[in-house]
Amino acid sequence: MKIHLLLVSLIGVLTACANSDSVSPGTGIGGSTARFTISGNTLYMVSNTALQTYDITESSNPKKGAKTSLGFGVETIFPYRNNLFIGTQTGMYIYDISQPNSPKQVSLYSHILSCDPVVAQGNYAYVTLRTGTNCRNQSVTANSLDVIDISNVSNPKLLKSYQMTNPRGLGADSSLLFVGEGDYGLRVMDISNPLDVKELEYFYNTKTYDVIPTRKRLIVTGPTGIYQYSYADFSQLKLLSQIPVQP
Amino acid sequence: MHRLFSALLLTMGCFLLDGCDRYYAPPPPSKGDTYRPVYAAYSDIRTIQNLSPQPLKNVGKIYVKDNYLYINEEGNGIHIFDNRNPEKPVQVAFIGILGNQELAIKDSILYADNVTDLVALNIANPLNVRLVKRIENAFDYPAYPLATNVRFECADPARGAVIHWEKADVENPQCYR
Repeated sequence: MKIHLLLVSLIGVLTACANSDSVSPGTGIGGSTARFTISGNTLYMVSNTALQTYDITESSNPKKGAKTSLGFGVETIFPYRNNLFIGTQTGMYIYDISQPNSPKQVSLYSHILSCDPVVAQGNYAYVTLRTGTNCRNQSVTANSLDVIDISNVSNPKLLKSYQMTNPRGLGADSSLLFVGEGDYGLRVMDISNPLDVKELEYFYNTKTYDVIPTRKRLIVTGPTGIYQYSYADFSQLKLLSQIPVQP
Repeated sequence: MHRLFSALLLTMGCFLLDGCDRYYAPPPPSKGDTYRPVYAAYSDIRTIQNLSPQPLKNVGKIYVKDNYLYINEEGNGIHIFDNRNPEKPVQVAFIGILGNQELAIKDSILYADNVTDLVALNIANPLNVRLVKRIENAFDYPAYPLATNVRFECADPARGAVIHWEKADVENPQCYR
């Protein structure tokens, strides 16, 4: 009886531990405008001009690794499969990270003169081009979403370009692409056919800098608040909450 | 003699045109926004603070892990929200990290930039975040503001670390980018 009770309470304690354990092993998810990202046991960071790696096999003891020069105007980093997609003001670099601590350049897609980030899904990369005062390259006059075919990562090809208003961060999940339009709101696009990307919804009042789509939930940051939407129903986003930002 | 004269003329011309130290950069704008660095002492930037929840003001990058939402307050630190119920996120704490812009998390360790340093923080208990490693000078000294084609008061490392660039009237700014 005593042993039985002990066992029950032990199980109780163990379950309690598992429940209260707020932090699980593994990594989280950042937005498309991030300059830090983790892939496996490596932390990748981009400065304005370089890619720096840190070995974080032992999480609490990061060790400085290789540094790769990237030219100027480096803005964002996005890991996908065995590659890093690096958005710069002059183009999109693709690096192979099969050997995590020695990234190797696979290609540079320099047809774009961009000011913003890149995400990838399936055989496609999605890049936003934005005009803006912080872009050194003042020749950018277009605001667009470019779909790039990366089925051959060593030879990325522009598939199609779509007109946007002032796009910033973006995020993809299966057939949905969420595009932050800064002060001009949030767009929800259907990307099931990359040659015919269609707008499903447009929230003009949700000023959006960046997005994180995860587990059918979209987290949106912007100057007026942090919004959370459910996209369990792909055809219609449902606002769950808003954390206000002080004006 | 003739050759020496040509060389002299060329050198003089160079000084006259002031082209030697400007490389091929475009000329600095004579008007437009000017910026001034805001400094903090190196000892102050190297203090990580556990603070009570703070209002969100200038939100930057966001990061999601497990049931928590981490929101960067540009140049100041990270807001932590308990997001178990996304219909009602609960603000838990604020980690004061001067100069902070970026973050990423593996296991219970959060990596963040802290002006010139990279810090690794144990966030297993959001109310008691602990510094587990600091790598000094992982990043370049912040010598210029983010905006381009602007003039600014040159940053002086002897006065501390630049934690912020404020738009301000600067008389005859000597730096630009």
